[in-house]
Amino acid sequence: MNSVQSQQTRTSQRLLRKRSAINAVAMVLSCAAAVFGLVFLGWILWTTLSKGLVGIDWALFTQSTPPPQESGGLANAFFGSAVMCGLAIVMGAPLGIAAGTWLSEYAGARRIGMVVRFVNDILLSAPSIVLGLFVYTLVVAQMGTGFSAIAGAISLAFIVIPVIVRTTDEMLRLVPAQMREAALSLGVPQWKVIVQVLYRGASAGIVTGILLALARISGETAPLLFTSFGNQYWSTDLASPMASVPVVMNQFTASPYESWHTLAWAGALVLTFFVLVLSLLARAILSRNKVRHD
Amino acid sequence: MTELAFSMNAPVVAHSPRPTAANATAKMSARRLNFHYDRFHAIKDVSLDIAENRVTALIGPSGCGKSTLLRTFNRIYSIYPKQVASGELLLDGENILHPKYSLNQLRSKVGMVFQKPVPFPMTIFENVAYAIRHYEKLSKAEMNLRVEQALNQAALWDEVKDKLKQSALGLSGGQQQRLCIARAVALKPDVLLLDEPTSALDPIATSRIEQLIAELAGEFTIAIVTHNMQQAARCSDFTAFMYLGELVEFGPTEKLFTQPGKKQTEDYITGRFG
Amino acid sequence: MTSIPVAPTRLVTQARRDASADRNFRALVVLAAFIVLVSLIGVAFSMLWGGREVLAGQGLGFFFSTEWNPVENRYGALVPIFGTLVTSVIALLIAVPVSFGIAVYLTEAAPVWLRTPIGSAIELLAGIPSIIYGMWGLFVLVPMMTEYVTPWLNDHLGALPVIGELFQGPPIGIGLLTAGFVLSIMVIPFISSVMREVFLTVPVRLKESAYALGATRWEVVWNIVLPCTRSAVIGGVFLGLGRALGETMAVAYVVGNTVRFSASLLEPGTTIAALIANDFAEATDSYRSALLLLGFVLFVVTFFILAIARLMLMRLSRREGVQ
Repeated sequence: MNSVQSQQTRTSQRLLRKRSAINAVAMVLSCAAAVFGLVFLGWILWTTLSKGLVGIDWALFTQSTPPPQESGGLANAFFGSAVMCGLAIVMGAPLGIAAGTWLSEYAGARRIGMVVRFVNDILLSAPSIVLGLFVYTLVVAQMGTGFSAIAGAISLAFIVIPVIVRTTDEMLRLVPAQMREAALSLGVPQWKVIVQVLYRGASAGIVTGILLALARISGETAPLLFTSFGNQYWSTDLASPMASVPVVMNQFTASPYESWHTLAWAGALVLTFFVLVLSLLARAILSRNKVRHD
Repeated sequence: MTELAFSMNAPVVAHSPRPTAANATAKMSARRLNFHYDRFHAIKDVSLDIAENRVTALIGPSGCGKSTLLRTFNRIYSIYPKQVASGELLLDGENILHPKYSLNQLRSKVGMVFQKPVPFPMTIFENVAYAIRHYEKLSKAEMNLRVEQALNQAALWDEVKDKLKQSALGLSGGQQQRLCIARAVALKPDVLLLDEPTSALDPIATSRIEQLIAELAGEFTIAIVTHNMQQAARCSDFTAFMYLGELVEFGPTEKLFTQPGKKQTEDYITGRFG
Repeated sequence: MTSIPVAPTRLVTQARRDASADRNFRALVVLAAFIVLVSLIGVAFSMLWGGREVLAGQGLGFFFSTEWNPVENRYGALVPIFGTLVTSVIALLIAVPVSFGIAVYLTEAAPVWLRTPIGSAIELLAGIPSIIYGMWGLFVLVPMMTEYVTPWLNDHLGALPVIGELFQGPPIGIGLLTAGFVLSIMVIPFISSVMREVFLTVPVRLKESAYALGATRWEVVWNIVLPCTRSAVIGGVFLGLGRALGETMAVAYVVGNTVRFSASLLEPGTTIAALIANDFAEATDSYRSALLLLGFVLFVVTFFILAIARLMLMRLSRREGVQ
């Protein structure tokens, strides 16, 4: 009897040791994975920072892209990016908000709503280069004007739309149903309730969506390669090719010239900084608003 | 206007300075009203009258259909799919369930206050002015007067007059609920529907709202849903008791609480089930 | 009461005006939703249309040929498809275990005060433009591959039977392996934040009761958390796969842009997205047609991968809705 008991204890102790050993190994591995991920991501940030800082000066923001081996800046590219991203938001945001409104306020849980939501989710993660090809065949090839800033802006707008559709839909659905009931109970027509009450209730979320969309398109390269193309000079003509930061970075990175590499990294640093600030801002707005709602 | 659907001859003891239940006319009348949530039959053949400028309380255990009934009175249910009311529901003799009846018009005549106070994400002033602005073009001075009047009616003016430009979300729960009442009365509706307006409030705020209901009763036709029988007894002229989607008993509040006509009613008000 | 009743005729006109404004608004938002729906179909159709020339000329043979000869107008999709698949598989082989580890670390192992900052940091990194990953790959990773990794792989793994062939190649640093590695670094933030999010949906009481029975952290993860979230975890992996398949700028500099089949992962190759990015702007009409058709292939493949991902993720959220 006694020996059986002690044997049982021994077995369970051995089992326990084995289990905690497995646990320790797993935890160490998971910690190692986190370190691995963070090291590489940190490394990329560090490379961007150290290589980018070299090229940061006034000329970067005041002079246009130089020919090889000469000094210059990215002013025309910054301008082009600002114009095209701005246009993309101006075109994409109202459309995205409208479609998101339909999903949340009119489609609800109906099958057709689920289909559109599903399609939108696919568009959200569709390869951006494919959207570039789409706009190329739709705009560049059809219009006969060739590459143009407006085509670039349209391709970026197609990236903006699904982001904003999704956030609008989600944020409107977070507005309590009683808010709709209360507003409609006053005899105010539904469109006014949506525009004046619900949008206000969801405004922080919708603004966040717009900021995230802007963060996303500001670094998009692939869809611009064959829509807005690029332009070595300062251009304000929407119907002709226009420079943009990522496309210039792409061109300069692929070149053999040291001075161009420096400019590409400076552009990368500015871009990363911009994107991180936008995402942080978006998070701040959202979290502040969450606190206030509770 | 039609006579009330039940006998008015029963002796009614006045419990408030207001006119007694007798001599009331019907403002709204349900005639064989039925309601379905998809396949669930929530209201079964209910007929009752809501007396003009009186307070009518709807009581019953939870799930009995009292809130559903109230929500048909301004057809707020119609924003949800698969919710259908049938039968007749008359407001001043017109059937509001008729598909041609304008919902917005209906809702501007029949205001509603909900269980949970839901101020709009705007300033206190804007909360009240919002719906007025849709219906009437008022000058700034007229609007100020109108908002002040409404806030006064809701007994909130003194507490908020110095912070009209602040967000309504900063008010306490009781204040928010009175703001919602102000918002509803600002439109000068004929009927005011109150859906358990005090269930989310503390006792002090509750008694203020009850006081307010008494004050508003002279001017508006009020229907109130409550799960609190004392509240029904305190502030209503008529009471309807519902159970499992049916109207079990309907009559002057005093009579219903002192000499209930049905066994079920008696069991409920004496707390033997619920 | 002193109120003056509003004239009924005004109320009626107002009601009519409101109703028509409501109808117009509704039509507007329906139109917007319709545009979203149509744009997806438009994307697919436009590329198929653009690729009709090559499709008509070569038929289905396009999809099964390894020949890529723009000069003679003969195109085969197999090599870029192969490159796309290989780089994505490499990316997932590295990214999935690492992301899983990160998610476990952030939900179970890390000290509580560290979880939110690290989690947010990783989510923020998911927003860094992919071109920067590509530049880092070209300027930092490629020299390292040339200097250390490729020779080591040649010496050690290259000598093995069967798989040795995969790791024999010139020390040039660019190639499918490098591209796959850069991709993996890029998709780690995506996959790990999806996994972390779905792990957090597991009810705390479930985990607590397992801990109360004396389960170790790993046992809780393996026996409670993972089974509860399996479909969503797979969904997250597929989401990452969708990104890897279509990613352009992170691979364009380091994959080599050579349309030539090679068994070695150290030889330069290409992916669909990289090939399109590099050649499209300067291509002739028929070459463009071939690239558009390739784009169509990419879109169809990612569509199915993403559709599976969404369905898997939806299954979790639906179950949550029931709870």
